[in-house]
Amino acid sequence: MADSLDFNGLVTAYYGMLYQFAFSLTRDEAEACDLTQQTFCVWAGKGHQLRDKSKVKTWLFTTLHREFLGSRRRQNRFPHIELDMAAADLPVVAPPSVNRLDAALVLQALAQLDEIYQAPVALFYLQDHSYNEIAEVLEVPLGTVKSRLTRGLARLHQLLTSVQPQPPKP
Amino acid sequence: MNSEEAKNILLLYRHHNPADEADAAVAEALALAKRDPELAAWLEMHCAREFVLREKFRQIPVPEGLKEQIISEHAAGQRPAPRGRQLVLASAMAITMIFSAAAYWANHRPPVEDNLPVFQSQMAGNALRGYAMDLLSTDGGKIRDYLKAQKAPADYVLPAGLEKAALSGCAVEGWGDKKVAMVCFRTGRPLASGVESDLWLFVVDQQSVKDAPANAAIQISQINRLVTATWVRDGKLYFLGMEGEPGELGKFL
Repeated sequence: MADSLDFNGLVTAYYGMLYQFAFSLTRDEAEACDLTQQTFCVWAGKGHQLRDKSKVKTWLFTTLHREFLGSRRRQNRFPHIELDMAAADLPVVAPPSVNRLDAALVLQALAQLDEIYQAPVALFYLQDHSYNEIAEVLEVPLGTVKSRLTRGLARLHQLLTSVQPQPPKP
Repeated sequence: MNSEEAKNILLLYRHHNPADEADAAVAEALALAKRDPELAAWLEMHCAREFVLREKFRQIPVPEGLKEQIISEHAAGQRPAPRGRQLVLASAMAITMIFSAAAYWANHRPPVEDNLPVFQSQMAGNALRGYAMDLLSTDGGKIRDYLKAQKAPADYVLPAGLEKAALSGCAVEGWGDKKVAMVCFRTGRPLASGVESDLWLFVVDQQSVKDAPANAAIQISQINRLVTATWVRDGKLYFLGMEGEPGELGKFL
């Protein structure tokens, strides 16, 4: 695919999904824009080294994730909430109708996941990455991806139950 | 596989995702759901919820202008040098071209006046300014071969006195579009360090120099610091010079 793509074509094809992934991780528009732009900047400098052009999508997501981890290490300002500790405080309610949730609430719930679950869950929902692709992007074994997804999704569902918007009182 | 195990497996199942359905464990869990009404109901709710969640993620708005910003900043990174730098580069190129042209002109310029005094002055200047010999050799044959190869006059005839002088090498100089053979000798006087020659003979086509002597008579003259002798023979103009007295030069004629 990348064989036929120039830089502009590559940006057009992937900038949207990369931004959404970045925003899922950062919940900050400016930072997500920076991460997306930085990813293409890295591509401009090193993309030619990619031998298997069919891996361009994975390469871009991997690069963005690395950039995110790097920026997080530098800034050290991302809250880290252990869901195991928070889960005890979650109200037990009936399964929510997620239709009444908006994207912001979903991302708010994602943000409350342990960091190791956030990226795989975001990739799971964004663009239907296969498990193998998620493993490549995150540079972890396939089994680890499945394990993290299982726990991350289960806890995301729990959190979404806790943030279920209350219907207006009559 | 029981119902709870199937739920754990199907938690990662995305409806209509070929990659997920290709997984053997998922396929087994889906098959179980077809036989287990409770599991089937759970799966239906799960798929509906996952569909909505997926849509929520995909509804994350992408800022307008982000694509254009990425592309324009990339283009800016590949943009030619800023205007100020362009001016510096252009100036440097212009200066280089001027010096190159000047150097070419110096070596190939046609004589302003292609007469004998100009030729004498120019060749004397070549000898006195310092020069680099193209060939260092004491072998007259090799020197002639080199000059011939360079299409410079090589079939010159040396005066009897000059035949006895020690050769040191040769060079090819320009006179308009003509080549001048510069044959370098040693007078036998002590030479300064790095100096290879102190007696020089220039040979050029007689027709290329206006006012060349019409006969074989030798003209002795002082050109700059050089005492020189000029004569013609067989269609060639000879110009011999050295620093010293005319009497000393006479020994090489």
